[in-house]
Amino acid sequence: MWLPLLGLVIGILLGLLTDWRIPSEYANYLSIAVLAAFDTLIGGIRAHLQNIYDEHVFVSGFFFNIILATSLAFLGVHLGVDLYLAAVFAFGVRLFQNIAVIRRILLTKWLESRQKNRL
Amino acid sequence: MKMNGSHVILSFVCLVLGFMLAFSYQITKKETTNRQLERQWNKEYEYRQQLIEQQEQNKKLQAELFKKQQRVREMEKELASEEQIYFNLVEDAERLRMYLGKVKVKGKGVEVTLSDASYIPSEANATNYIVHEQHVFQVVNELLIAGASAISINGQRLSHRSYIVCNGPVIEIDGTQHPAPFVIQAIGDPNVLIAALTIAGGVKDQLTSDHIVVDITEKSEITMEPLMQK
Repeated sequence: MWLPLLGLVIGILLGLLTDWRIPSEYANYLSIAVLAAFDTLIGGIRAHLQNIYDEHVFVSGFFFNIILATSLAFLGVHLGVDLYLAAVFAFGVRLFQNIAVIRRILLTKWLESRQKNRL
Repeated sequence: MKMNGSHVILSFVCLVLGFMLAFSYQITKKETTNRQLERQWNKEYEYRQQLIEQQEQNKKLQAELFKKQQRVREMEKELASEEQIYFNLVEDAERLRMYLGKVKVKGKGVEVTLSDASYIPSEANATNYIVHEQHVFQVVNELLIAGASAISINGQRLSHRSYIVCNGPVIEIDGTQHPAPFVIQAIGDPNVLIAALTIAGGVKDQLTSDHIVVDITEKSEITMEPLMQK
């Protein structure tokens, strides 16, 4: 159980310790990628709670979403259309929906456990 | 074993996520400091630009000020020269008035007194022993030629339009009768005037040979009243 947490900590440490810089115009792509990663992670948690979690879908979705969002932003910059807004919007909406679903599931679980305790 | 494999994959995903998060955070932080620096620099540039603009304006205004000051100085000079001209004109007018006898004048000069002969031999004609107007003419003309600036006879100023006529025992100057003796006062350099009158064979000698008593005295100050307007 603590192995993913260890991975997270190591990743954060690596990110803080790396010293190579990327040009400021690519910072946008990075933020989009972070957003996509978050979205996939939250989606994975929700799927896990709903018992429809599939490891392959999760891993492929994680990387594919990151690459897709970044390439979409790249395309938008080169076409002169702010396509990264579409990515931000889509991921943002899904993020909120997923979080809402997780909240509801947790809430019903908690209420059920309380009723069980009472009984 | 399967559980373990999924955990490894999950931890790899978490590693990537953590790396991306930290990296993004770091970049954003650096960028904000960069932006602050840039803003500061921009502000500095703007202020410098303003300063330069201000200085340029100052320069321009200063040049204008110098130009105006130059003009004021020129005008002052002009005024000064004009004043000089006016002053000269006033002086000229005063001098001309003096010549015309319109003002009271004062200065060094000589006084010539022409009196009739005190002794007239009984067999001689009395007319040969009294002062005639031509004698007065002679003296006055000599004085004028010698450079007298103002002349009066018995206290009456002579002008350039004065006339002297013989009127029996008296002479008439501008309508006023004067008896002998005649006191002719002249303002001018006394040395020159006296020398002119007493030159050998000159006026004094001629008058003396006409039996007239001539008395020439130098005066340190003679005051003449202005000519009466008629």
